[in-house]
Amino acid sequence: MQNEIIIIQGAVKRFGRVEALRGVDLTVRRGEVVVIIGPSGSGKSTLLRCINHLESLDEGCIIVDGIPLTQAENINRVRAEVGIVFQQFNLFPHLTALENITLAQRVVRKRSREESERIAMELLKKVGIPEKAHAYPAQLSGGQQQRVAIARALAMQPKIMLFDEPTSALDPEMIKEVLDVMLALAKEGMTMVVVSHEMGFARAAADRIIFMDEGQIVEETTPELLFTAPKHERTKLFLSKILH
Amino acid sequence: MPDVERLERTIETKAVVLPKERERFDTWWFLVLAVAGVVALLVFVKPDPFLRIVLFLRDGIGVTVRITVISFAFILVVGLIGGLGRLAKNWLIHGIASLYVEIIRGIPLLVQLLFLYFAFPQVLDTVGAWLMKLSPSLHGAGKWLVDVKPDPFVMAVAGLTICYGAYMSEIYRAGIQSISKGQMEAARSLGMSYFQAMRYVILPQAVRVILPPVGNEFVALLKDSSLVSVVAVSDMTRRGREFMSSSFMSLETWTMVALLYLVMTLFASRVVAYIERKTAFAK
Repeated sequence: MQNEIIIIQGAVKRFGRVEALRGVDLTVRRGEVVVIIGPSGSGKSTLLRCINHLESLDEGCIIVDGIPLTQAENINRVRAEVGIVFQQFNLFPHLTALENITLAQRVVRKRSREESERIAMELLKKVGIPEKAHAYPAQLSGGQQQRVAIARALAMQPKIMLFDEPTSALDPEMIKEVLDVMLALAKEGMTMVVVSHEMGFARAAADRIIFMDEGQIVEETTPELLFTAPKHERTKLFLSKILH
Repeated sequence: MPDVERLERTIETKAVVLPKERERFDTWWFLVLAVAGVVALLVFVKPDPFLRIVLFLRDGIGVTVRITVISFAFILVVGLIGGLGRLAKNWLIHGIASLYVEIIRGIPLLVQLLFLYFAFPQVLDTVGAWLMKLSPSLHGAGKWLVDVKPDPFVMAVAGLTICYGAYMSEIYRAGIQSISKGQMEAARSLGMSYFQAMRYVILPQAVRVILPPVGNEFVALLKDSSLVSVVAVSDMTRRGREFMSSSFMSLETWTMVALLYLVMTLFASRVVAYIERKTAFAK
């Protein structure tokens, strides 16, 4: 079992004439928590979405857990190993919280109803809302929806969890409950790649912080060094804007 | 700007349909009863000619209902395939589906039915004769094509299906497109295939969106099925014409035919409204 679980080499992604990624190299080790920050349009979400092939690369390659993301038949295999949590939660509105968590278990993992419901209930307890099992997404607050979304991804027992600005669509008082779940997950040793500007979370959980700008990685550093001694001018400028 | 977006999202997600409102009795049922009552009254007060007309139309009513229901079942399937085809990334599939929709929508249903019933058999004859000449091994197939007699009922169902399938394709397409892209992404990111995501995530939501227009199509089809009377199908309209030409009672005949269509269409739209309320979910 090799230690590098995600290997990205020379990733280039274009949307029409815009280059969203301009040659990104990144390696994530097993159990590592990597936080990606950067101004909007810097390509951080695109990079994340490329890791489970929601976007395909124009150049370069991505290897997830030893499986290259190039052949079509590998993609569903990799996706089941990589959970992603979206800014907009994207829960299935026609299903209850419990059904949201059991659907893919039954359809993709072919688990029985009993087993998938048992796992779903355990996960709902873990994210702190077992009493909402039979509520529909519209009946849940944003924070609760996002916690169900995390449970839904965890139910596939992924080796990697990706978070795409998981707290950006939340009201301020709900951010903590989601970050607490993410912190607990990080403590358990989950490999995580997080696009977020929650510096409190980065400080507490991140092994590495990556600053992206204009489709490239500008700076790679540890949380302590980022706040005390950022190397690049662009990083300094960005930090001065978000740390008020 | 993000604040406005967030506010809109909150409004959207918090607007829960109240169960009370959902279960309230649908007063439009009275209209169905009223029209049915008029029919009953006419038959009761003036059995001659109204009871005679109803008895004469009876098999026609059955044919109209059967042709509508059978065609609609096919239309739902054709529409789904057409709609998915219109959304396909593959240019060939997309092109074929789009061509089908554009061409069929541009030709009147009546002309399509006439073509299918009167012109299409000639096409079969020509192709059959050509096959018979081409090679002895194809002789059997060619002979079958020449000999096959178009069944009016089958041709009528085919005609209605082809025509309404095109409209239904567009309804499915719009319904599927109305579901946010994030739903497909979430499903795919959990490892579901495209078709699994369609079946378990997208279509269950899209079906609720398209139910009102699909219901409209059913009612429209029920009425347009009267056009099959020109291709030798003994539906309600054709039976009405037969009764009129033997009795010369135009006013009575067409009043009764119109009332019977009205009872059926009003009833159908109430059933659609009922299903709509039952399947609504908090959004």
